[in-house]
Amino acid sequence: MDRKIVHIDLDTFFVSVERLINPALNGKPVLVGGSSDRGVVAACSYEARAFGIHSAMPMKMARQLCPEAILVRGDTAEYSKFSNNITEIIHENVPVYEKTSIDEFYIDFTGMDRFFGCYKIATELRQKIMKETGLPISFAMSTNKTVSKVGTGEAKPNGQKEILAGGEKEFLAPLSIRKIPMVGTKTYQLLRGMGVLWIKTLQEMPCELMQQVLGDNGNLLWRKANGIDNSPVIPYSERKSISTERTFDKDTIDIKGLKGVMTGMTEKLAYQLRNENKLTACVTVKIRYSDFNTFTMQACIPYTSLDHVLIEKVNGLFDKLYQKRMLIRLVGIKFSHLVQGSHQFDMFEDNVEQIQLYHAMDKLRKRYGRDAVSRAVGMDYKMYGMNPFNGKESIK
Amino acid sequence: MKFIAPSNELLQHLLTVNGAIMSKPLIPILENFLFDIRGGQLTIYSTDLETSMTTNMAVESKEDLRVAVPSKMAIETLRALPDQPVTFNVDNNNFGIEVVSNKGHYKMAGLDGVDFPNLPEKSGDGSFAVPANVLLRAISKTLFAAGNDELRLNLTGLYVELMNDSVNFVATDANKLVRFTRKDLKPGVEHSFIIPKKPLNLLKTALPNDDTPVSVDYNKTNVFFTFGNTQLICRLLDEKYPDYKAVIPLENPNVLTVSRGDFLSSINRISIFASKTTHQVRLKITGSELQISAEDIEMANEAQERMNCEFEGEDMEIGFNARFLKDMLATIDGDQVQVRLSAPNRAGLLVPVENEKDEDITMLIMPMMLNNY
Repeated sequence: MDRKIVHIDLDTFFVSVERLINPALNGKPVLVGGSSDRGVVAACSYEARAFGIHSAMPMKMARQLCPEAILVRGDTAEYSKFSNNITEIIHENVPVYEKTSIDEFYIDFTGMDRFFGCYKIATELRQKIMKETGLPISFAMSTNKTVSKVGTGEAKPNGQKEILAGGEKEFLAPLSIRKIPMVGTKTYQLLRGMGVLWIKTLQEMPCELMQQVLGDNGNLLWRKANGIDNSPVIPYSERKSISTERTFDKDTIDIKGLKGVMTGMTEKLAYQLRNENKLTACVTVKIRYSDFNTFTMQACIPYTSLDHVLIEKVNGLFDKLYQKRMLIRLVGIKFSHLVQGSHQFDMFEDNVEQIQLYHAMDKLRKRYGRDAVSRAVGMDYKMYGMNPFNGKESIK
Repeated sequence: MKFIAPSNELLQHLLTVNGAIMSKPLIPILENFLFDIRGGQLTIYSTDLETSMTTNMAVESKEDLRVAVPSKMAIETLRALPDQPVTFNVDNNNFGIEVVSNKGHYKMAGLDGVDFPNLPEKSGDGSFAVPANVLLRAISKTLFAAGNDELRLNLTGLYVELMNDSVNFVATDANKLVRFTRKDLKPGVEHSFIIPKKPLNLLKTALPNDDTPVSVDYNKTNVFFTFGNTQLICRLLDEKYPDYKAVIPLENPNVLTVSRGDFLSSINRISIFASKTTHQVRLKITGSELQISAEDIEMANEAQERMNCEFEGEDMEIGFNARFLKDMLATIDGDQVQVRLSAPNRAGLLVPVENEKDEDITMLIMPMMLNNY
């Protein structure tokens, strides 16, 4: 049986929310993102896109392209609230859905045909969300996630689309390879170098060739280009990792300062782990030099959520990773391999007083906010509510 | 050169020492048994360079002989034969071995015994004697608590602490600890060493479960266990054992007394519903009621049981790894056990209400942090 997968995506979500709050922004080019020299565009309105601006572009460049654009700082709490409202509406109305980011959902309507007609339900759902939240939304329906996602891109702004079973290949053929979700800058350049511009070309290429060029990913990409994607809609996925990163206002080589920032980052992430009753078994440190070359290094550790263990590990990884004696633009820390659970005391290494101290600090933070108490070295570091690179909320 | 031996008896001896042989050793000859015949006495050696075993038996032979025999093939051949005297003909030049039974003959390639590594000389700095069943008991009560983490090598073995008038056997992985004390063993000196896991597991299968005396000889690098005509030699872990005594709490005022069997079967049921990664169960003690619960939020599983208990002290709630509790409750003796606690973030002790004669067993378990205290 053919599946019926709907991909729902809010149009310029951040901008739409801002416009709802401040209608004066309607019809004008709007940029959401940090205003500092190093800020990037987290979202931009269609009016702004006409000037060649796209998300993740440096704010400075965007301002040059369109000096009259209105700049909004962004309010993650507000975006999360709207996102949660929408999630609730979807939750009430559909059997299976997957939330893949703050403004994107996949819904599996397979089997609902007999009752109401899937496209009809999806249309009604879209109307309902628009009516209840006032936000523009687009969707596309097809037999799998990839085609639906591409379809939504085509349906935008504020539209809807159905790609019938059997028509996937035909639908994808005339589009640019850029539209396939897997294709980023690197892959795009590689494929362009090979003379591939349209998905049609990809479809006609032998799968083995793709495998040769891109490995297993090539195989996957070829399948996607041909409209084949069997990945299921996963109803609820536990967060697999938590991470944070910091781009400095000015590239720096101040190792002491960097370590302070990383200590601050680690503390906050560790607090988040404990707060959600989780443990991590894998620590990753990332640095980006001023020439944008990015390096990461990770290490597996026994399950833990304790500051001092993690800080030591992070510092150790940083020392190993930082080899180039070059200015650093960004540092990031990620904890992955998360499991639900609490700390198992170690009779030789753990010190009860220390753990009681963490406990007391956590209590203070719970009551007075995340920045209420921290190690002095990491005091300068305040965690932003939003990761400006993917626009996802990072922390409650 | 040749010798004649009864097939079944030879097989039994081979099986006794077979455990020391690694599969796919770095040095190929270690996949063999060394057969060393001197004056009609066959000594069989096996080793992985860390642990070695020897055993001996009488055979019919006119001359001395030293040859390496492929272990797997020898065992399989003997196992497949009905009990009968078998003749081994060894070619002096290429060490080919021909086994002759009343059914036919079987040829395999042997190796020159001269290439087989020499065993450590038995030179003891000291020694003490222990009945086989006591040693067996000491191993089986403690070894489960030893660690597997190669980064903490010192915790992967059994710590044997000799005192003037008693012996402590201690194993821990830093989350749980067992101390097993025998007061009827009197080494007369103070000394300690760490024995790795593998030889102890071999000992467990090789030791007879009776009071056969086992002589334990030790020096700086090796320990030798000699019983009957079998000997096991193993290299000691050259590591420093942590100061385990410092972590055993002396004052744990909250004492819970429960039926061991009931407690164990309850934990067995509840742990099915605990998180599969942390195995956390929660014990809540109020008055004379023990409430055991677990939940796995990811899978939406949860379970809770209540049982009667005797409890002296303040009501409390504490989290433990169910697997540790299970192992400990399954290993400890007696119908009734005591759990002695002080605080939710401090070590708990598990002890039998009554110890066996000349014995003292203490198990320690570190709690898991509960997020609500």
